Order: sequence, then C-alpha cells, then structure tokens
Amino acid sequence: MKKVLQITLGIVTSVGGFLEIGSVTTAAQAGASFGYKLLWAILLGTICLIFLVEMSGRLAAVSKHTVVEAMRGRFGFPFFFVVLIGIVLVAFLVLVAELGGIGLSLQILTGIGFPWWAVPVSFAVWILMWKGTFSLIENGASMLGLVTISFVVAAVKLHPDWGGAAHGLVPSFPADQKAKYWFVAVSILGASISPYLMYFYSSGAIEDEWDETYVPINRVIATFGMSLGGFLSMAVLIVAALVFHPKGIDIQKFEQASLLLTPALPKWGFFLFATSMLFACLGAALEISLAIAYFFAQGFGWNWSEDLTPSRDARFCFTYTIIIMLAAVPLLFGVDPIKVTIISMALTSATLPLAIVPFLFLMNDPIYLGEHRNGWVSNTVVAIIVLISFVLAVISIPLEIMGG
Amino acid sequence: MRLKGFLVISVLGIAACKSPTPAEQMDSIQSWLATAEMVGDGWLRHSTPDKYSRQTLELSHETLLQISSDLLKAPPHSVDSASLDSVLTRSRGEVAQMARLIEAKDAPEFGRRLDSLRADQKVVKQLSDSIESRQ
Repeated sequence: MKKVLQITLGIVTSVGGFLEIGSVTTAAQAGASFGYKLLWAILLGTICLIFLVEMSGRLAAVSKHTVVEAMRGRFGFPFFFVVLIGIVLVAFLVLVAELGGIGLSLQILTGIGFPWWAVPVSFAVWILMWKGTFSLIENGASMLGLVTISFVVAAVKLHPDWGGAAHGLVPSFPADQKAKYWFVAVSILGASISPYLMYFYSSGAIEDEWDETYVPINRVIATFGMSLGGFLSMAVLIVAALVFHPKGIDIQKFEQASLLLTPALPKWGFFLFATSMLFACLGAALEISLAIAYFFAQGFGWNWSEDLTPSRDARFCFTYTIIIMLAAVPLLFGVDPIKVTIISMALTSATLPLAIVPFLFLMNDPIYLGEHRNGWVSNTVVAIIVLISFVLAVISIPLEIMGG
Repeated sequence: MRLKGFLVISVLGIAACKSPTPAEQMDSIQSWLATAEMVGDGWLRHSTPDKYSRQTLELSHETLLQISSDLLKAPPHSVDSASLDSVLTRSRGEVAQMARLIEAKDAPEFGRRLDSLRADQKVVKQLSDSIESRQ
C-alpha cells in the first residue's frame, strides 16, 4: 500500500512539475506558428526524457550515487569541471527565465512590471529553499503545479481535429519558414530534455533514500509521470494551434501567450493561465536552484541535503543563495525573460552531449550498476539521444540566428 | 585558428544579413493587430482585467509603431506606400484609443473602435497577401 501511494505521489508530482516557462513558451510558439505540425518534437522529447529520468533514478537507487558523483568518480575532476561550466551556465539562464516567468505572471495579474518583482520573487524562492525540506519542494510546488491541467481542459473544450493532431505526431518538412520551424523544434527538444532534471531526479532519489527495491517503482514513475507531463505540453501546443494559428498571432511576448486559455475558458482562463505559469515557474525555479547547488556540492565533495539545516551544509546553501541572487540581476535591469527562455532552450540543446555522453558510459558500468546495467533497448535509445544531441549541438546556434 | 576565425565571421555575417523582409514585417504587423483585437474582445467580454488589457494594447501600439516605421523606411514596391501608411496609421490610432477607453470604461465606444480595427485588419491582410504573392 505504501508503495502504491509512493507511485501515485511520484506520478502526480512529475505531472505537476512538468511544465515550466520553456515548455509552455516553445509549445505555444510551435502551435501558433505551425499548427499541429510540431507535436512530434514534444513526443520525441518526452520519450527521450522518460529514458533519461528512469536511468538517473536507477543509477541512484542501485549505486547510491547521484549522476554527478558517479561522473566525477568515473571521469575525474578535469572532465567534471568542463561539464560543470557548460551545464551550470545554461541552467543559470534557465533559472533567470523561470524567475522572470514568475515575475511576468505577477505582472499580468497586478499590472506592476516584472523588474519590480525580481527581488521579492528571488527572496521568496530563497526563503523556501532555506526553510523548506526536499519533500516540500518536490511535492508542495508540484501539487500547486497541477493547476496546469487546465491546459488539457481547454484543449478538450475547443474540440480539436484529433486526426490532424495525430498527423502532427509524425515529423514533417515545412514548405516555408524552414529555419524557424527547425529552431522551434530544437527549442522544444531543449525544453524537454533538460539535463538539470536528471541531476535533480537522481539527487532526489538519494534524498528519499531509494534502494534497489525502488527500481520498478522508479520505472513506473518515470514512464507515467513524464508521459502525462508530455500530454500537458501537447495540450498547450494544441490550444495555441486552435487559438493563435488561425489569427496569425506569432508569440513574441508573454502578454500574447496570456490569452491562450480565454477563448476556451472565458471566465477563468486568464487567471488560470497566470496562476499556472506562476506555480509552474516557481516549482521549476526551486528545482533548478537545487540542481545547481547539488551539482557543485556533489562534484566538490561538500555536505549536501535539502533536509539538513544550513549550518550543516553551509557551502551547499551558500551556492544556491549566490545563484539566486545573481539570477535576479538581469531581471532587475529589464532583460526580457521570454528572450532568455528562447536563448536558453537552444543552448540547452547545444550542451546536451556534455550531459548525455558520459551518462551512457556510466549506465553501462558494472561497478555502479551491476546487473541493473542498461540493456540493448536503453542503450539504443541513449545512442539515438546522443546522436540527436550532437545534431542539435551543431545546428542550434545557426538556427537561432537564422530563425530569428 | 583560421577555422575559428572563419566560423566567427560566418556567424556574424549571417547575423548581419538577417534583417526581416517586408513580408515578415507585414506578418508581424498582422500578429500584433490580431493580438490587440483579441485583447479588445476579451475586455468587452470581461475575460481579461483592465490593467492587463490596457498595458497589452499599449504594448501592441508601441510595437506596431516600431515595425511600421521600419517598414515604411523602405516600403515594398508591390503596394502603394501611401495606402499602406494610411491604414497602418489608422489602425495604430484605433489601438491607442482603445487603451485610453479602458481607463474611461467606455465599452460602447470601445466596441466601435474594435469594429474599425477589424476592418483595418482585413485591409492589412490584403496588402500583406499582395506583398507575399509578388515575392
């Protein structure tokens, strides 16, 4: 009974924590500009994420090491340091975007510009980290994020052409706007396959004291939680395809995306969108801040746990304190969080090989995983993800320039 | 080192060459007019709050001003620049006026301005189609 509850909670938190400013923005842009045509990118990203999350949970449950600890131990400090720079820089940009997403949500609710919210929002995130436990951050924020289910309600209420949507699950080549099409596709993949999720998930498994008995539970949570989360992203794309695409609205600003739910839910749609984004970005900001602090602490061998008091893991707490403070600075100066989101999603794609190639070696290492090493199915999928990640790394920056 | 230099120059070259075409600018104008129309419709139906609606209409107005001034610096040959200028100026004026009417809470006049904006949207769409067909 306890395990059933754990599975349910795990799935619910995965669903509630799936959407964030990157996934909503990229899905809304895709639907607005290309109708259902880019649904395949969300499907592909979700499949990749299911495998990566399952593997990072399995590694932690079996070896009692997080991905970062195993990478540092297996490949040494110089290699870890290169990965640290690449991943942390991109994760930092994503954190700026998420804090900005909270600010923008508050801006449309109150009329007070997002730069004014930079300090209060950063302080609120920091105080939740300082005072809160891992369970509060993992479950509390994700439960609030369940309000994002309103995107599914809106999609159903708008009566989409389900046949057309199913057609969008198959990759197609656009007749025009090719650079923009591929850039949005790359951004969707960058928003879906976020390396910080792997680090957060494996650290969470250690925080929750998983052991080998959790391997099947981990598989169920990763598969169902991420699949249902992927459905949420698809719902955003479908609603944008029905609401914005026929009107020719190209999403460039948050204010435009804020109209997403109003045609389907005229009375509550605007407030549901604002609160969905508020909670989704809050959950993501907490997870990314933690993931960055985990990365430093685990790589440098410091004490770390969100459940310890700050006096017992001072360097871990100092890291997220500094990171959150720094992330508030660009927002104070009015840097547009949507632009940061778009750039960070493309850069996430560009840095994927740094995160995934060493992970493939780790998942085949008998010292860490013994009999739970990857089978041929998982290895084939990771090899495909590595291939995709190399292609994305090469094309993402030129596409960013050409796709506008 | 040579390869690095070549890559840097290529990327900068692509970036420098990439300025929006008149068709892309017209798409952008249509997008912001449609945004203003959607916000206006939402405000009339009490689906969007006053502050958000006013600020978004002001943002639409500023963005339309920026794009249309860029477009009119080098207007496309395929359309009459005087009629393009006229419809863009008129529609911008409607958007700015709608933002003011929210403060005055004048829904009937707001509705009339919204209808005019919808008519202008159709004209902009025709001009945009003629630019795209000549490209």
